[in-house]
Amino acid sequence: MKPISRRTVLRGVGGAAIALPFLEAMLPKRTRAATPPKRFFVMFSANGTIPTAWTPTVGGTDAGATAGTDAGVDAGAYQSFTLSPILTPLAAHQSDLVIIQGLLQEGGGGDGHQNGIGGMLTGSPLNPGPFAGVGAPPAGWPTGPSVDQRIAAGLAAPTPLRSLELGVQVGAADDYGRMIYQAANQPLPPIDDPVQVYNTVFSDLHTDPAVLAQQRARNKSILDAVGAEYTRIGTQVSAADKQRLDAHLQAVREIETRLTTDLTVNNPACSDPTVPAVDAQSNDSYPTVGGIMMDLLTMAFACDLTRVASLQWSRSVSQVRFTWLNIPDGHHDLSHHSDSDDVAVTKLIQINTWYAQQMAGLIDRLKSTPDAGGGTLFDNTLMLWSNELAKGNTHSRQDAPYVLAGNAGGALATGRFLSYEGQGLNHNNLLLALINAMGVPDTTFGEADWCTGPLTGLL
Amino acid sequence: MSRLKRPWMAAPLAFAGLVGCHGSGGGGTTTTVSAPLCATDPGPAPMRRLTRFEYGRSLADLTGVDPSISAGLPPDEETMDFDDIADAYSVSPLHAESYLSVAEQAASTLLGSSAATTAVAGCDPTGGDATCVAAFVGAFGRRAWRRPLTSDEQQAMVQLYGATASPGPTDGLTAVVAAMLQAPQFIYRPEAPVTTSQPVDGYALATRLALLLTGAAPDETLLEAAARGDLGTESGLLAQTDRLLALDRAGELFVHFAAEWWEVETITSVDKNRSLYRNWTDATAPALAQETSMFLTDAWQNGPTLTTLLTAPVSFMDASLAAYYGLPAPAGDGYQKVALDPTRAAGMLTQGSWLAVHAKADQTSPVLRGKFVRAQLFCTPPPPPPPSIVVAPPVVDPRLSTRERFAEHTANAVCAMCHTLMDPIGFAFENWDAGGVWRDTDADEPVDATGQLTGTDVDGNLDGVPSLAALLTGSAEVANCAATQWFRYAFGRSEQTSGDLCAISDLAATLTGPGGDFKKMVRETVRMSAFRNLPPEASP
Repeated sequence: MKPISRRTVLRGVGGAAIALPFLEAMLPKRTRAATPPKRFFVMFSANGTIPTAWTPTVGGTDAGATAGTDAGVDAGAYQSFTLSPILTPLAAHQSDLVIIQGLLQEGGGGDGHQNGIGGMLTGSPLNPGPFAGVGAPPAGWPTGPSVDQRIAAGLAAPTPLRSLELGVQVGAADDYGRMIYQAANQPLPPIDDPVQVYNTVFSDLHTDPAVLAQQRARNKSILDAVGAEYTRIGTQVSAADKQRLDAHLQAVREIETRLTTDLTVNNPACSDPTVPAVDAQSNDSYPTVGGIMMDLLTMAFACDLTRVASLQWSRSVSQVRFTWLNIPDGHHDLSHHSDSDDVAVTKLIQINTWYAQQMAGLIDRLKSTPDAGGGTLFDNTLMLWSNELAKGNTHSRQDAPYVLAGNAGGALATGRFLSYEGQGLNHNNLLLALINAMGVPDTTFGEADWCTGPLTGLL
Repeated sequence: MSRLKRPWMAAPLAFAGLVGCHGSGGGGTTTTVSAPLCATDPGPAPMRRLTRFEYGRSLADLTGVDPSISAGLPPDEETMDFDDIADAYSVSPLHAESYLSVAEQAASTLLGSSAATTAVAGCDPTGGDATCVAAFVGAFGRRAWRRPLTSDEQQAMVQLYGATASPGPTDGLTAVVAAMLQAPQFIYRPEAPVTTSQPVDGYALATRLALLLTGAAPDETLLEAAARGDLGTESGLLAQTDRLLALDRAGELFVHFAAEWWEVETITSVDKNRSLYRNWTDATAPALAQETSMFLTDAWQNGPTLTTLLTAPVSFMDASLAAYYGLPAPAGDGYQKVALDPTRAAGMLTQGSWLAVHAKADQTSPVLRGKFVRAQLFCTPPPPPPPSIVVAPPVVDPRLSTRERFAEHTANAVCAMCHTLMDPIGFAFENWDAGGVWRDTDADEPVDATGQLTGTDVDGNLDGVPSLAALLTGSAEVANCAATQWFRYAFGRSEQTSGDLCAISDLAATLTGPGGDFKKMVRETVRMSAFRNLPPEASP
């Protein structure tokens, strides 16, 4: 069943739950750029992994990579490796992956989960703030933007959405549940309700163009008036309060831009998505909601609604119960069991393997969706899967698990396992390399002391 | 723990008007006598934003929508267990878009009713009559922005009407309402900065009062009182306070506050391992939420003393919830007030919602329960485990009792340092399983519910929850902590200055002094400097 949009005009005639045919009026208003757009995607899963079951084994058979020894390859870079049990679901895509191990996911402020998820994409420590941590003074939001937001700013793509933050059961609005930051202290909350995504992000695809034009003019008037009030009241409050109002004003300006920008569709694969009814917050709907979100994400890329997106599965300290894997325990509780608890370790491997399946599922979707200029969406996309911790029971972030997929239109060589063990490098170098891979020529990222340059051997 | 907030259900209630016992200390205009307040420094006053709870209730008043419409907003950042802590707030484009979407729905609802639209200004603006449109803008603005519009504001909104009144006047009116509901004057609570500490102006004080006592914007009567300057005197302020405290809404606000303080507002997202807790169904958590809401509402109506919250051996249940607890069905249909066994039950401490939230999915948790008592009732949260420790909840072994499973906490000296603060309190709850149901045995042995309360002003041996509750009711530290919790909620911030601590001790004295209860403490709050005065701040 599809939800009924409040803006629906053409939809719902006869009550048929079928996606609208492609609207003629939405055909290209500009011709396609010569270079296909690069896209960036981040996926998060929580509570660390089981490193022994995550790290690939070097050597072995690997049809997709260079056979034999790795002569000529940098030390620690392997093209011949066997995927670990956890990453096995990604086997069909092994030649498109880069597995990265041996970096420290540095963080600061708050406790390990807090600064783990806060620093994971920002490479920055947390400011002091109001959120109570465990074993640390209360912390707030990170001191800088996340890597995807730096990329979005660098790309400055003419898409309606600067970036799209999706999530599945992300829970409370604190620094344990946020990973994307537009700037210091500006978390971008993920939308974890598929119907809300449908109604807001895809409204252009199910609204009559004439009505849409009218709505745009009206939205512009309303948001202009609202913006003027934020400016007005900003002059009547203290400096600290004015900062809050200015941040709100910036958010108003951003949606104004989006709600008044015409969507240019030039990909026949772009169509109005269907969103089945589901209780988005019920534990057992977790896989279903995630699947819908990945469908929506794929369509958002196909329609070029955005070129930067993320999917946040639950949150750090996630207590999702993987009942569909016959695991009734809360994930975070499980993640604290000792390494010698074989039952718990087996369950944690199952959970992390399930997340690898989801990553593989998204790669499948992108690979099976044509891009506007030929090829598939996957060809020009760079994907990162990361975790706030390396190990759940120690909160260690040494050897944090990173999986890259795709080559961003040829910016990096894939089919490799890169180990940086013993080199004392922080993950800031990885984040910077990703920014460079996306064509943004920065020379540092995040906390300056944690970054020594783009990760060697990746690009 | 994942904390998915749902709107907390509050049952309607009615109670007799409160007889005030505090009056002006210095004005000499009333005959009652009040204790002098020790704090004169108002403390910091960061700009606050309407919480989703307050936003929904305000929108309902203004436009007739259901308050649950606020579920369309991203959740409030929550810290110290409360949803209204100003420093925690952030805003994103998603927020802005949600405000737009919800405001449009609310505006359409209002303009969809010609009676409601006409009632706003006393004339029908949908014909486009310029005078009536202007009256509508001014009248709606005054309610939404909680003060009369300035002429600049009035002009800006009339201009917006002009730009959007197509195809018809209703479109313009809808746009104006939608804009006003997204403006900072509605969403935030801006208060003009001052260079020396001085009283909050009348309308801002009315806003503070209405949101504090009713969780919604001021009503017409309160706005009129503000316009007359009534709130500038303590007697005028208290007259409005007593009027608002007599409304059902004050009770709903109390339920909202207490549910956050007791950490039970998350019950609707709690689930149990159903192979171990076979009677737990999808209907259980909502029923437990309903039960606690009615318990708190009843307490508010009949004397919300700290002792009632901690000890009252009563609750509310229907036949189905009674069956879940293994109790006889109450007489009468639906939820009924029932007397519980006072040797077992003790107020909030044995509410099913509280017991289930403070437990694991597959077992009880003496740690979570003991920690709650320390952190939320004594305001002395135990230190967290050292980062080097592998913290693993014990594997559920049906042959071992909870006490045996947690034995390492006392055997291991490193663990024991902190767990002796928590577990021995939590063991007193062992007769209540992770689903909040009474049990006589654990691992086929009779439950041992003995424990100790140590390091407090009311130390003693425990055997069951009522023994703990009895100690807590005599504790000055618990009273002070309850007042601290209310202070944080009321002022949207942590206690920071010596004046704050002083204010809290005043509140605690009102809570537990002769005839004291939460209602009197709430009333006392409005007399405080932190409530009535603004601190000096740098000019913008």
